[in-house]
Amino acid sequence: MHIAPHSRARRGLATVAAATGVALLFAGCQATPGESGSTPVAGGTLTYASGDAEPTCLDPHVGGNYPQALIAGQFLDSLVSRNTDGTIIPWLATEWSVSDDNLSWDFTLKDDVTFTDGTPFNAEAVKVNVEHLKDPATESSTGYLALGKVESVEVVSDTVVRFSLSTPDSALLESLSQPWTAIESPAGIARGMEENCQAPIGTGPFLVDEWVKQDHVSLVRNEDYNSPPADAKHDGKAYLDGIEWRFLPDSASRYAALQAGQVDVIDNAQPDTIAAAEKTSTLAHLDAPRPGASNRIELNAGRSPFNDPAVREAFIRAVDVNDGIESLFFGSAKRSYSPLSSIEATGYSDESLFGTDLDEANALLDSAGWTERDADGYRVKDGERLSLAFPVSTNQSIPAEQSLFEQIQATAKDAGFEVNLSLLDLSSWYGVLGENNYDLVSAPYTKVGPDVLRILYHSDGIIPAPSGYFANHSQVSDPELDALLTSASEISDEDERAALYEQAQKIILEGFHILPLYDQQNHFLLGTRVKDARALPTVSTPTFYDAWLSGQ
Amino acid sequence: MTPGSAGSRPAQRSRGFRGIRWLLVRLGGAIFVLWAVATLTFFAIRLIPGDPAEAVLGGPGSQASQETLDQVRQDYGLDLPLAVQYLNALGRLLTGDLGTSYALKVPVSDLLGAQIGGTLVLAFTALCVAWLIALLLSVWSTGGGRVAAAVGQGIELTSAALPHFWLATVLIAIFSSTLGWLPPVSTATPAGLVLPTLTLAIPLAGFLAQVMRETLLDTLDAPFIVSARARGESERGIRLRHALRHASLPAISLSGWALGYLISGAVVVETIFARPGLGRTLLQAVTLRDVPIVTGVVLLVALVYIIMTVVTDAASRLADPRLRNAEAQP
Repeated sequence: MHIAPHSRARRGLATVAAATGVALLFAGCQATPGESGSTPVAGGTLTYASGDAEPTCLDPHVGGNYPQALIAGQFLDSLVSRNTDGTIIPWLATEWSVSDDNLSWDFTLKDDVTFTDGTPFNAEAVKVNVEHLKDPATESSTGYLALGKVESVEVVSDTVVRFSLSTPDSALLESLSQPWTAIESPAGIARGMEENCQAPIGTGPFLVDEWVKQDHVSLVRNEDYNSPPADAKHDGKAYLDGIEWRFLPDSASRYAALQAGQVDVIDNAQPDTIAAAEKTSTLAHLDAPRPGASNRIELNAGRSPFNDPAVREAFIRAVDVNDGIESLFFGSAKRSYSPLSSIEATGYSDESLFGTDLDEANALLDSAGWTERDADGYRVKDGERLSLAFPVSTNQSIPAEQSLFEQIQATAKDAGFEVNLSLLDLSSWYGVLGENNYDLVSAPYTKVGPDVLRILYHSDGIIPAPSGYFANHSQVSDPELDALLTSASEISDEDERAALYEQAQKIILEGFHILPLYDQQNHFLLGTRVKDARALPTVSTPTFYDAWLSGQ
Repeated sequence: MTPGSAGSRPAQRSRGFRGIRWLLVRLGGAIFVLWAVATLTFFAIRLIPGDPAEAVLGGPGSQASQETLDQVRQDYGLDLPLAVQYLNALGRLLTGDLGTSYALKVPVSDLLGAQIGGTLVLAFTALCVAWLIALLLSVWSTGGGRVAAAVGQGIELTSAALPHFWLATVLIAIFSSTLGWLPPVSTATPAGLVLPTLTLAIPLAGFLAQVMRETLLDTLDAPFIVSARARGESERGIRLRHALRHASLPAISLSGWALGYLISGAVVVETIFARPGLGRTLLQAVTLRDVPIVTGVVLLVALVYIIMTVVTDAASRLADPRLRNAEAQP
């Protein structure tokens, strides 16, 4: 499965279902249906301002990153979705079943859905989409990996499609719930990559009208829409006439534009603007942490000094994280003690492992042989200083997080660690990781479900992909952990699966391989006239199908 | 003024020849600069870490399979030796083909054609506004006594030192968030052009005003001004009709440099105000290692810069006979 780590922008796939309560917090003036004065009215165009990079292709099959997922959710539907409990729910597929050997999945499809170009949605269309994702010429990264275990797709009837797997995949439904595997019109795909990138054709509530590069994408309502996910608040077409999707890279001007009413919704809201918005009565805050892994600092056990577990524990005991999160994030981020996002029901936390204790840290380092200190106060062993390389991606770590790392650097010094922070652009950062030239790293990873643990902590993840990328940055290599993660990815019983993932997370936490910080932050601010917008409980992208504008 | 040999025929002919030679030298220089820029860009972007094949696949960190990577390297000729890739790129440039963007998969010339308008409008508007501010400031500060001179000098130095990103944020805070007069983010309307223009124009006006004020002060002491005063011209008339014209000459020749300065400032300003344009295109392309776009933008900016330099040079030669005749003097 895949990855998608990437800039605040590229994160990837998902998997399994499972569940959890998604923390969708609508603050402020979000109206809920049923309240007096909150009957949705149709009409109006919503302006969305994205701080993520502008996609280079609107078809999320190609490449497959978070900016693509953000916008694709407005014009493409997936086979399944997931609700806030973490249960997989119907979308374009109404029901599904798996064979006893877990190798064959049958999906029953809605029979009255049409793509916006008039092509009928049916089993053949699903087959074409899977083949499109698996074709190297499509240049898919995220969707390709998500469907890695799918060997072939067979049309059983017009409304029944069968997926045949090479090995059992307990994450298949979660993979199919993600926008990177959404279903597009076969006729649209047949136009070729260039045209399909410009305006992919789906069955979604809106369709792409025009894409003016570096400026905006115009989306207009699909008047014939009839295929919302099972947890939508209404049937039929969307309330909005359309969405003007703009790209506003600067966070201060994005917030200023929202305040001025020039735009209705902004993403990538920064902690200071969230705090400011919460003091107003005119802006609402939508906190939608991303699924998959939590944001955590990984300790590279693949080289000295962190190949010694005592040194890893000493580092975790030495650094003070909570004060920094408190002061730098203005209460918008909650400390995590788990490898998984708080929206994953299978997440396991152990706060007791992460208490700060400088004496304990010093004792651990002394016993590990780092007994001397040099003139600068850093510990030394055999003439070598206790130095830690910490490359930081400026694309993935927001300014508040970079400041947090500086505070960690300062508190680690008390125990005698020298932390060398280097701020790098994305390509250089991946370059340093590929050369194994790091001891600490923070690398977000978005994916639906706990199967993300297998990607991040199975020893297979240390082997680089052809591009040089590898996902197991903490370089954990533990046969017991590998076995747990492999069986969890193949088991069909939900409870047994959850138990296996719990054991796996215990090994990761108790081995001091990671320092969890908080969920992957994903904050939206909404102007007061926007009602009933929500984030999809799959990869936490906003959906405007139920949304409407008051005062139209 | 130069005594010169105007009027004699051989001198005229040789001046025409010199004009053509001047043009040829300029043209040769321009081609050399473009080649050097293309070559430097081609190799520089490969020296920084990052695989251009990943730009095609949606950015760095891609988990693309070997088949996919091979397909892309073959499609874009990235599997060939670097020297061959360089010669291929140069060959394409000679035929006027800027290539196809790795990330956006569209011809670079189409992309730049769509973006250059926005940047040129912004740069020229900012240049005009900067000129206007500089003129008013220098005339006022040289004519208003010691206090005005000190204040004027202070304004020039401060504004010349303002960083664009800071000025943009302050202007947004004042005119959008507080006063609500102007949109913080660019729109297609003229109102959307105001803040980006001011952000670029204010620091530039500081530079230009400094140059103008110094020349203006020097000129006001020149003998021809003294004689104008003696003829009974008013102080204002002297300033506007005589001194300012002279004071403008160095600022005119600075305008070529200024345009380069404005286009580089556009990277910041276009990003903050979310204006479509070359600056934003360049920033995104560098991040993605999109070699053809980076090369295209750099070449285009070099070309604009060269044209502006040639035009201001020619304009100065036309405006100031001293320059034309200088070479003729023994």
